[in-house]
Amino acid sequence: MIELLHVTKEYPSAEGPVTALGDISLTVEDGDIYGIIGLSGAGKSTLVRCINLLERPTAGQVLVDGEDLTKVKTKRLYEIRRNIGMIFQSFNLLEQRTVEANVRFPLELAKFKKDAAKARVAELLELVGLSEKAKAYPSQLSGGQKQRVAIARALALSPKYLLCDEATSALDPNTTTAILELLKEINKKLGVTIIVITHEMRVVDSICTDVAVIDQSHIVESGKVADVFAFPQSEIAKQLIIPELIRTVKSAGGSKLRLVFNGEEADTPVVSGLAIECGIAVNILYADTKNIDGKTYGHMVITLPEDEKQAAKVKQYLDKNHVTYKEEI
Amino acid sequence: MDALLLSKLFGQLGVGGFLEGVGITLYHTVLSTAFAYLFGLPLGILLCVTDKGGIHPIIWLNKIVGFIVNILRSIPFIILMVALIPVARAIVGTSIGDEAMIFMLIVAATPYVARMVESSVKEVDKGVIEAARAIGTGTFGIICKVLLPEAKPSLIVGAVISTVTIIGYSAMAGTIAGGGLGSIAVTQARVSNAQDVIWLCVALIVILVQIIQEGGMYLAKRFDKRVSRNHKNKKIKEKGE
Repeated sequence: MIELLHVTKEYPSAEGPVTALGDISLTVEDGDIYGIIGLSGAGKSTLVRCINLLERPTAGQVLVDGEDLTKVKTKRLYEIRRNIGMIFQSFNLLEQRTVEANVRFPLELAKFKKDAAKARVAELLELVGLSEKAKAYPSQLSGGQKQRVAIARALALSPKYLLCDEATSALDPNTTTAILELLKEINKKLGVTIIVITHEMRVVDSICTDVAVIDQSHIVESGKVADVFAFPQSEIAKQLIIPELIRTVKSAGGSKLRLVFNGEEADTPVVSGLAIECGIAVNILYADTKNIDGKTYGHMVITLPEDEKQAAKVKQYLDKNHVTYKEEI
Repeated sequence: MDALLLSKLFGQLGVGGFLEGVGITLYHTVLSTAFAYLFGLPLGILLCVTDKGGIHPIIWLNKIVGFIVNILRSIPFIILMVALIPVARAIVGTSIGDEAMIFMLIVAATPYVARMVESSVKEVDKGVIEAARAIGTGTFGIICKVLLPEAKPSLIVGAVISTVTIIGYSAMAGTIAGGGLGSIAVTQARVSNAQDVIWLCVALIVILVQIIQEGGMYLAKRFDKRVSRNHKNKKIKEKGE
């Protein structure tokens, strides 16, 4: 378990200290894929670097399995870091080393025997699907391949945690999907707890179990992805999670209902049901839903009839069908 | 070229005399470059590592070493050489000859090399250093396993530039302390104003510099893994994943 308790990071500047992180507290349980989402400049990168103490917090505690990293000796810190892998937006591979030598790097530090290291490298390259590129140099690889090498390197010492700092931000959509699938697999198969820093909604949406939204150096809301994504509270979370919806709701007049599909209700066609059962035709202003294993997830915004009786009927129908909704003005 | 022209060209020194001159110049250059790197490489690393924002900042030490390096670097070699005559006498026992000259070259070249090394090592991507720190690499490990190997091509280029500079120094030093092509040129100019001899020395130095420059650049390129080494690999890269 990783716990940040009241972590604050300030940088000195000519006009006094600048706050990069203000009183951040969060808990990452073992087995989670924890997403930290925010716009650039929100403090995400500093936050993830406080977890392995690449950045030393000005105040607060960083507890990794109960051990406060801000208090341990340098040597112990190095040991703990070997239990926390990290991958980066710009991959950060050693350009003068081959793929296999890059993956071998942490093993050399940990004084692995030559044969054991060789076997481990082969195993890792197979895991990330790059066995045939063992002898290539990073400059001969594509972005996605480089990130795979970086992942193999980060996992070399079988860490319990993996930090991903905008790991897919430099990749095209298809490659992003492939890398996210790989991370998911690593979480499932190896039980590695993953912390993902990103500004991309889809990263959190597709792999995270938990999410924290960070804005202007503070965490504005956090929780299970399903909950936060269903009803984002803060302005910034709404902007990040449902930007189109917010725009639609703001631009259209009249009263509206936002329907939220959490995958809990049966796959009933709500809108046509309304028309058939209640005889009320509603206008769909916005819909972004997807069907996963026969269950519906996402948001829909419909106009509410101006007639109050009819509006009440609509709500009744939704209640009856266990559809979560919220009135939007 | 017939024998008469040859002997005219090489004057009383003869071919052997010039070859010996080339040999001495090379000997001075190689030996003093080697020693300059022996001292300059660690100094350059120290300057980079202890700097503000380096991997192990020790600001006061960085300031002191940087100051000394700057002083030595700002004295023109020809003046430094004269100033070093008593020092050379005290340390190597003589102020003329090979030992004295190599000593002076080392003193002049070490700070130069240190700055060269510093700038090469500073080019290493900060992200790569961060990645190494994230897996628990200490300062020494980062120097040996990240900074030096990653900076290797740039270090080789720096060594080429340093060597060429030291050839220039050695020609100057030849005038007061030792032999070599510089010494031949100056002596001949003084004694007989033999323009052809002087120009021949110049030509030989130019050839030496060319060989070192081209050879060094070839090595730097060969050791650099950042560029695809053949067309086939390049194609793979373009095709992507």
